[in-house]
Amino acid sequence: MDLSFYIQLLLNGIVIGVIYALVAMGLSLIFGVLEIVNFAHGEFYMLGAMLAYFLTLNAGLGYWPTILMVTAVAVSLGFILYEALLVSLRGESFERSILLTLGLSMVLQNGAVFLFTTTPKMMVSSLSYSNIIAGELRLPLSRLFALALGLAAFGALYMILYHTRVGKAMRGVAQNRDAALMVGIDPRAVSRLAVAIGIGLSGLAGAALAPVYAVHPLMGFSFVFKAFAIIIIGGLGNISGAAIAAVGLGILESLAAGFLPLVMVDALAFISMIAILLLRPQGLFGRGVRV
Amino acid sequence: MTSGWLRALSVLLSVATLFAIPKLTGNEYVLALGVSFATFSVLSGGLNLVYGYTGLLSFAQVGFFGIGGYTAALLVMEQNWSLWAGVAAGGALAALVGLVIGYSSLRLSRHAFAIVSLSFALLCMIVARDWVSLTRGAMGIPGLPIPTMSLPAGMHWRFVQPSDFYYLLLSFAVVAHATIYLVVSSRLGRAMRAIKLNEALAQSQGINPLSYKLLAIALSALLAGIVGGLFVFYLTIVDPSIFDFYYTETMLIMVIIGGPGSFWGVLLSSAVLTVLPDLLRFTTDLRMVLYGAVLIVAMLLFPGGLGAWLQRRRVARWRRPRLVPR
Amino acid sequence: MTAPAALLEVRGLSKRYLGLTAVDHLSFEIEAGAVVGLIGPNGSGKSTSIDCISGFQPADGGQWFLDGHELTGLPPHRIARAGLTRTFQTVRAYEHLTLLENLCIAVQENDGVGWLQALRRSSPLRRSEAAALARGRDLLATVALTDYADAPAAILSYGQRKLLTIAASMMARPRLVVLDEPVAGVNPTMIRHIEQVIHKLNAEGVTLVIIEHNIDFIMSLCRRVIVLESGRKIADGPPGVIRNDPRVLAAYLGKTRAAELDHRHG
Repeated sequence: MDLSFYIQLLLNGIVIGVIYALVAMGLSLIFGVLEIVNFAHGEFYMLGAMLAYFLTLNAGLGYWPTILMVTAVAVSLGFILYEALLVSLRGESFERSILLTLGLSMVLQNGAVFLFTTTPKMMVSSLSYSNIIAGELRLPLSRLFALALGLAAFGALYMILYHTRVGKAMRGVAQNRDAALMVGIDPRAVSRLAVAIGIGLSGLAGAALAPVYAVHPLMGFSFVFKAFAIIIIGGLGNISGAAIAAVGLGILESLAAGFLPLVMVDALAFISMIAILLLRPQGLFGRGVRV
Repeated sequence: MTSGWLRALSVLLSVATLFAIPKLTGNEYVLALGVSFATFSVLSGGLNLVYGYTGLLSFAQVGFFGIGGYTAALLVMEQNWSLWAGVAAGGALAALVGLVIGYSSLRLSRHAFAIVSLSFALLCMIVARDWVSLTRGAMGIPGLPIPTMSLPAGMHWRFVQPSDFYYLLLSFAVVAHATIYLVVSSRLGRAMRAIKLNEALAQSQGINPLSYKLLAIALSALLAGIVGGLFVFYLTIVDPSIFDFYYTETMLIMVIIGGPGSFWGVLLSSAVLTVLPDLLRFTTDLRMVLYGAVLIVAMLLFPGGLGAWLQRRRVARWRRPRLVPR
Repeated sequence: MTAPAALLEVRGLSKRYLGLTAVDHLSFEIEAGAVVGLIGPNGSGKSTSIDCISGFQPADGGQWFLDGHELTGLPPHRIARAGLTRTFQTVRAYEHLTLLENLCIAVQENDGVGWLQALRRSSPLRRSEAAALARGRDLLATVALTDYADAPAAILSYGQRKLLTIAASMMARPRLVVLDEPVAGVNPTMIRHIEQVIHKLNAEGVTLVIIEHNIDFIMSLCRRVIVLESGRKIADGPPGVIRNDPRVLAAYLGKTRAAELDHRHG
């Protein structure tokens, strides 16, 4: 096999890995700050994609305005989600949070199926047929933009978490909740923002991938479980760990798909996760084991 | 003590009525509902044992269900086993897998077990769909043969009519529930409750939580595996859709509405939730939206389920007359 | 007269948390039949040592033996079955179950009845359950909670709940019981009641180790007191001696205040 084949696979893997990272980091942030496992996380990814599809198709919005709009809506949904449902959970019961968010995911997923049917919709736009070609490598513009968006989101998240007061508060709570509370951090404000950011990232990922893959109501379902696997592999509550594990998984899946038949590429995430749980439960990068 | 006799009598009457239904109506729709009820009640009964009694949230039931189905189908189709041996093997394999998953992840925590159980169920779906050489892939294994049961005096019972499967699954459901009841009403069930209520306290009293958790998992897996084998032969086909998350969601709702840890509550809710949605002619999507809404409301308002509410009433009744003056 | 054999022997117990040494090579022995107090200021390692000895926390070093049998590293349920039980600072009980059910559970793993016998409801099981009920009623009488035998534990007051946990810890006829702050937050009448209960139980042959902050309670109840500070044993002897030990005073009051007192009493 020539080098360009590998590089193509690598490139594809990086793009999907960056998108995985957006979803996984959002999930990790929510878990780290609230100790809630958000089963409905994938549904917000799906809603972001659906909204992007409709905005492009029906409102005729261009790529960048669509992205901005969807992200804004997603962040607002995050605020609403926290205030309406999650604020009463307070991390007391793991099972309750799983079942509550599972219920939410059932409502959103099946509601979307009811309203839009399961037929996948392809988003056709000006981007659809533009590619960047370099030698034997091909990178569709839609994927390039998705990659750029992902990296921009990484940058923004990094700025928030490391250079703002509330971001540092979030990291503090994720690392050591009791200590952070003792220092006087307002858990409610921090939690609310964490959920808003987490859901916002998820929605953004959906909008970024909408032009790349088909959009349909069940797309969030498989995604979210991979996101779970990723955050466990990276280390529960460790946000940068989640990002690294996500990109790693994206690359691994891409390389495996290039060489193995499609069999079991999806299974890689879960097998890795089970292996990590049994061999190194704190994840590759550790945190302080909430598992 | 009359309440005990009354309850036993009403149970006996209900079971007798259920068995009489095919004689009263040949309506195939009713019989299909009966098979559905029998199957789902065993699945949710097992989940209740693991989650309701022992306090372990588990998503693995559907995995055991499907493993039972595929094992029975493969052994019958490819190895010429009889259905009964195949179904038993399916149950045994499911129980074994349950023990492995349980033992490896419970050493860490209940959280790890919940997550591993979820991935296990998803992995089953992926394997069924993608490992074509083993499971024949997305098309599944159609054309499962009609079972035959040899009876005394050289007779045979061929399961040709819908009522035959009705009797078969109902009989198994009775056996399954009797087994579950035997366990939960014994001191084993009492230990499981103790573990759910206050695990550290139970440990300090000599109770080994791991053994009881593994018992609950293995028993629920065994029953789910057997009913899975019977169910796929009723359908005459097994395919990856047997691992659908839909089964998990439905089981969870049955347990939550019936009340985690309430044997009769879950049995009753599985009957109601099998019959009612069909009567109301809800489409699957709307039904799931409703179930999701119920889950949300239940978790917000009644985290302990029906059982906790009943307990609060018991406590209130005791508090009313002041027995010891202060 | 030979010295009484040690029932509980702890050698070099150590436990560290995140760089902090909670228990530092602690060693002590408890003779059978004793009622020993374990005191020390906050953070001295009392609860941590008991958590380690009873199997709820892994120790970083040391060994401990009950009646010559090594308990080091065993899980909590094995240690309980070996004859060492404990209560918890957080006063654990099965809220939704009745008092008698609470007590019967506390002994069910100790009667040698196996799972199959339990499922078959065989006669060993029925005999054992009857015996457990009888013992439960006895213990409820000792702690004066008989009226609530069939009431859910949730209705008990804080002090009554503590009595229940003490009764539960005795159900399986343990050799040694550790009571973790049995009178914290309890009114004086109840404190006296608990003290009487402890005397009665000790008279039946149970060895007791009592962790407490209530110094007066310990001094009046215990014939021997062990004092911990920063994870180490700083004093060990009869209450009269301990009360005047300058190191103990220093540990509780701080060195300057202790010196002040010392100076004043000349």
